[in-house]
Amino acid sequence: MTGVDFDAIPGFVNRRDGHGETTITIETGQIVAAATHMRDELGFTFLADLAGADYLGWGEQGVAGYWGTPPADAERGWTPPARDLNAPGSWGLQTAPEPKPKRFSVSYHLLRMRPTPERIRLQVWADEAEAVPSVVAVWPTADWHEREAWDMFGIVIEGHPNLQRILLEDDWEGHPLRKDYPLGGEPVRFSDAE
Amino acid sequence: MTMAVRTRDTRARTPIYEGSRIPSPVPTELRVDPSLYEEGDILEINFGPNHPSTHGVLRLVLELNGERVVGLRSVVGYLHTGFEKNMEAKTYWKGITYAPRMDYVAFQANEYAFVAAIEKLLAIDVPPKATWMRTLMLELNRIHSHLVWLGTGALELGAISMFWYCFRERDAILDLFELVAGARMHTRYFQAGGLAEDIPVGFYEECQRFCDSMPSRVDEYEALLDRQAIFLERTKGIGLLSAEDAIALGQSGPVLRASGVDWDIRKDEPYLVYDQVNFDVPVYPNGDVYDRYKVRMNEMRESVRIIQQCLDGIPEGPWISDNRKVVLPPRHELHTSMESLIHHFKLVTEGYRVPEGEIYVAVESPRGEFGCYLVSDGGPRPWRVKFRAPSYVALEAAPTVMTDALIADLIAIVGSLDTVMGEVDR
Amino acid sequence: MAVGKKKLADYGLNTERILMEKRGGPRQDEPAAFEQELGNLEERLMLTTIEKALAWAHRGSMWPDTFGLACCAIEMMSIVSSRYDVSRFGMEVFRSSPRQADLLIVSGRVSHKMAAPLRQIYDQMLEPKWVMAMGACASSAGMFNNYAVLQGVDKIVPVDIYVPGCPPRPEAVLEGIVRLHERIKAGVPPAYELRKAAQG
Repeated sequence: MTGVDFDAIPGFVNRRDGHGETTITIETGQIVAAATHMRDELGFTFLADLAGADYLGWGEQGVAGYWGTPPADAERGWTPPARDLNAPGSWGLQTAPEPKPKRFSVSYHLLRMRPTPERIRLQVWADEAEAVPSVVAVWPTADWHEREAWDMFGIVIEGHPNLQRILLEDDWEGHPLRKDYPLGGEPVRFSDAE
Repeated sequence: MTMAVRTRDTRARTPIYEGSRIPSPVPTELRVDPSLYEEGDILEINFGPNHPSTHGVLRLVLELNGERVVGLRSVVGYLHTGFEKNMEAKTYWKGITYAPRMDYVAFQANEYAFVAAIEKLLAIDVPPKATWMRTLMLELNRIHSHLVWLGTGALELGAISMFWYCFRERDAILDLFELVAGARMHTRYFQAGGLAEDIPVGFYEECQRFCDSMPSRVDEYEALLDRQAIFLERTKGIGLLSAEDAIALGQSGPVLRASGVDWDIRKDEPYLVYDQVNFDVPVYPNGDVYDRYKVRMNEMRESVRIIQQCLDGIPEGPWISDNRKVVLPPRHELHTSMESLIHHFKLVTEGYRVPEGEIYVAVESPRGEFGCYLVSDGGPRPWRVKFRAPSYVALEAAPTVMTDALIADLIAIVGSLDTVMGEVDR
Repeated sequence: MAVGKKKLADYGLNTERILMEKRGGPRQDEPAAFEQELGNLEERLMLTTIEKALAWAHRGSMWPDTFGLACCAIEMMSIVSSRYDVSRFGMEVFRSSPRQADLLIVSGRVSHKMAAPLRQIYDQMLEPKWVMAMGACASSAGMFNNYAVLQGVDKIVPVDIYVPGCPPRPEAVLEGIVRLHERIKAGVPPAYELRKAAQG
């Protein structure tokens, strides 16, 4: 993305590029200022999506095969071979995913329609009880997305005018999309889903 | 026919209304002015969840002052199915079966968004035959979705016979889907790497026959409604939404284009073969229910154009990638090649592994921007998959468009937002 | 369980479920499971002319309730369309008010939040009333074996007929309707009586 001065965004922590997308990590407390900057200075007037994610147990998922070659280690004088071990089909040779800073992430997918279509992702990180400030004042459409993040993950959105459950009943206990919440349902006979 | 206005700059025309009508403090709730409680009778009623005109299980808690809607609160979640949690527990291959059941009217757009996200993370090449055929199917699905909308929307406004006309064409489209994929709805025809099966013999002729007859049918439908005084009275000037409010509320698709904003992901961020076919994007300036109706009618015509060009342009060749790490090998190879057998076994039991990463893919579903946010940890199952549903966001705009609406207008407005509760609640 | 002298097939009930033999092997003489279930009923039924006439009226114009929830609702709408034409069975009048409806076609997945309204709608219907669980999600939650979906609508309402499919073809739904009509013609009481949930 040309012409965007990322350091000028309030709360800018770092930037990551991948698969044609840019992800900017923002300090959680400064997200409202960053959002206002993105909307007013940089023209990202459209909030496409606001997604929460739970990274409890990240990297511990059992993937078949052997843990592969460790990353470069200058102390011991080890440089990994040149091929990409994370390509699909490298069964038996896989590197562990990069650890995440905190348990929950909230990703804001922004879109700028003019002059040229641009998409960018802002990401903030939060722990269990840490509150994420609400961006409803910046993009009113964030209202229901934040309510869903609260409902499904229990991410407390601070400053939201109406933080209630939206998809589940009001008296539901627990936050289903958390990794420690069971899938639920009934055991099915003669299947391995018991 | 009013000429469509194409302008990217949303400030270049007279605004539909001054300022913003987004309610506050809660943008998704219309709250009654406290003075009205003393003045008149405010009747609080439940509109749904079981209601013939709410397009599914939507509950609107309305506060009425006479016939006028002065308070509105949407309660959703009556169809919450736990898609996202369920898909985290299934391999990608099985997850593709879940995706179409969210927006169950434009099912292939959902499927495609998920499959496109997987393919982008896999960085796999899709053969051109598959991309052209996918475009064709997505456009057929667009017409299908608009027909269902038109049939049910007009039915609610009292134009009851539209239902049978629209469903006649809809059955023709579903026959095409059945010919190609074996199922009428939820075709599960898209696979990571291409299509699940080759295009069957006889499809081109059938589809051509459909393309030949469809434009005159659309004209027929327009003739039934466009010159009907009651329909025009019930839709013109109703449910106004300005361009700024629409963008602030995250609207996309026909709702946004009816407010004068020229934004269509197929034109502006093209995917599949949309940059290789000629089509126009209808944009109308008035932001009312009638304009949303016009946008969708014209989109049906444009879709037929795209389908015709796809029919002419589908190249010969393989219908799915030959990357054996992701795609099942052809059956005859299993008898002769040991590697193919092992690939088949690994793919069927464990599934293909998608490299670690996260991606957001947006497609232009008939309702607007349907997005899939996929986070992969390198394993055979997704870590997090979130779907951005355009109907979810359209319902957020409900209080704004229903300012000063009568309860009869509410039916027309909810219909024009074209919500499908499956994708709202996921 | 004592079995009546007349088999259901003699009443004109021809579905294979009746004629299907018991699990575990061919036993042509022993009545099938469904027959056994209804065995006692046959003796009690003794359809009179009046009851036959009532059964004819019930199945001739059984009005469904507009209870479309999800994808199956779209296929339920297509049975009203002219190609599949449920009007041949007298059922094109979908009533919005459950007080005026006879048949509750639960079409779509029922979430726990929707379970209470579903039960309320069912309770508001007047006897005699029938329930069709249309689709895999209504019959058994289908592919959604999770926290959010009620695992089969027969947990809260007594179901007369299950139509499998995801979504079932319109012809499959019509087949379900035809079988339901056959049941009624044969004098089989609605499911709430069979399951002893209520006295009609």
